[in-house]
Amino acid sequence: MRQVAIVGVGYSGFRSISPDLSYKELMYEAAAKAYDDAGVDPRRDVESFVSVAEDFNEGTSIFDEYVPDQIGGVLKPVHTIPGDGIHGLIAAYMQVLTGAMDIVMVEAHSKASNVLTLSDVVAYAMDPIYNRPLRANPLFIAGMEMNRYLYKTGTTEEQCAQVVVKNRANGFLNPSAAYGARLSLDAVLSSEPLSYPLKRLEVSSHADGAIVMVLASGDVAQELSALPIWITGVGWCNETPSLETRDWESATYARNSAEMAYRVAGIRNPRLEIDFAEVDDTFAYKELQHMEALGLCREGEAGLLLEEGDTELDGELPLNPSGGNLGVGHLLDASGLARVLEVVLQLRGIAGQRQLEDVETGLAFGWRSIPTTSGAAVVLSN
Amino acid sequence: MSLVERITSFADAKVWYGNLPIESLYTVGIAGEKFFRAIKDRGVIMGSVCPSCNLTYLPPMMYCERCFAELEEWVEVGTKGTVYTYTVVGVSLGGAPLEQPEILALIKIEGAHGGLVHRLGEVKPEETEIGMPVEAVLKPKKDREGSILDIKHFKPA
Ligand SMILES: [Zn+2]
Repeated sequence: MRQVAIVGVGYSGFRSISPDLSYKELMYEAAAKAYDDAGVDPRRDVESFVSVAEDFNEGTSIFDEYVPDQIGGVLKPVHTIPGDGIHGLIAAYMQVLTGAMDIVMVEAHSKASNVLTLSDVVAYAMDPIYNRPLRANPLFIAGMEMNRYLYKTGTTEEQCAQVVVKNRANGFLNPSAAYGARLSLDAVLSSEPLSYPLKRLEVSSHADGAIVMVLASGDVAQELSALPIWITGVGWCNETPSLETRDWESATYARNSAEMAYRVAGIRNPRLEIDFAEVDDTFAYKELQHMEALGLCREGEAGLLLEEGDTELDGELPLNPSGGNLGVGHLLDASGLARVLEVVLQLRGIAGQRQLEDVETGLAFGWRSIPTTSGAAVVLSN
Repeated sequence: MSLVERITSFADAKVWYGNLPIESLYTVGIAGEKFFRAIKDRGVIMGSVCPSCNLTYLPPMMYCERCFAELEEWVEVGTKGTVYTYTVVGVSLGGAPLEQPEILALIKIEGAHGGLVHRLGEVKPEETEIGMPVEAVLKPKKDREGSILDIKHFKPA
């Protein structure tokens, strides 16, 4: 099979508002940086363009029409995926695998500050017949899932709050994180309950930004980059959309995504073979639930490992060194690509103050947030 | 990247406003029709059965999400169940604090695969717990209109 590597990354942001730049300019900035990083000319060298966007978040119908110009893709193969950024990355990866393309780019972005009715957009994603008539804030889904997860695993509210303390502190060391902060456990625990047991500070805040990555096939990647970051495994899975029949305890979509990615990457024991991971933490408990589902520890163990410091920057298995969605900001469908971005920066050894030592293999996992059970994973090595 | 000149007031950061009044219809379909008619006309909750997977779907579907079979068998599943999980929602759809927080729950109905997501009533948040037995409280027959809201809420049984 062909080898595929990430040879360039570029990003714009991340910040709570971006009144100076249109979404197109955010994308242009990220793309220009990524092409510069990869040493490619998009008009000459890049053969295909994959963007990730959801019409309702963009405020534009048939949004894919508005994509090509700002990423250098006019008159070239371009398509748009409504999914997580990692779904887009996997699509680009597969295009290179076909052998028809050698250099492909993927883009995802968030202009969340321009969406005036974001919670209505999320509510409109719920089943219109059985769930939407209740007219509840969609956060109720996270509250119900967190409650069941704590009940099933014995994980505590304090452990969930500790995730926020850790990730926002990591964000403090990340110059591109919008919400880096040094918070006390008490501040998190005493923030108001939005949907019991979920508290305000346990919900990641949205941010604006754009991320672009350039992928290349084996030989081409070696020529372009002194340090290509190899995509060694990919996996993705959707569980049922039905709130009533889905698994509320253990994030099956994450387990299936990871099992596929590990199989492709030839990883037998993720606990030993994965050096660090960036995993979705849209809600604080999700980092713990995802850690378990991704096979990085046993069920019910994530909270304990967190308490023991295992997932800190200097721990055995650092989780979300970037700050995650809690520290960096939730970038709508670019969130998964932000997880990949950090894995790339860490594996290249250019993550600055938060750089991890001796890392060779990292995992990125994205989830499409409530009300979905849509996940995607990628394993990367330097 | 930034503008050439420093922005000193929000009004200088030009934005254009747009909106789209989206209105949609959702056909409830064969399974939904049967489910809502049973509640409206007879005050009972029905599920659809997959004999090969030995599952009774609630809400009912006309196909099995496990084996993809078309489902033709139906059974009454009763109106009693247990709280599988719950939450107390403190904010409205738009994010404003609610004066009266609402308890929402996934109620698993015995013998069914799945259940119903609904409000709990006639109970305080601090008295609510996972595993609590509950039963559906239906609206009076004349007020039912074939909607999930024909069930007012679930209450402790
Ligand atoms: Zn079946």
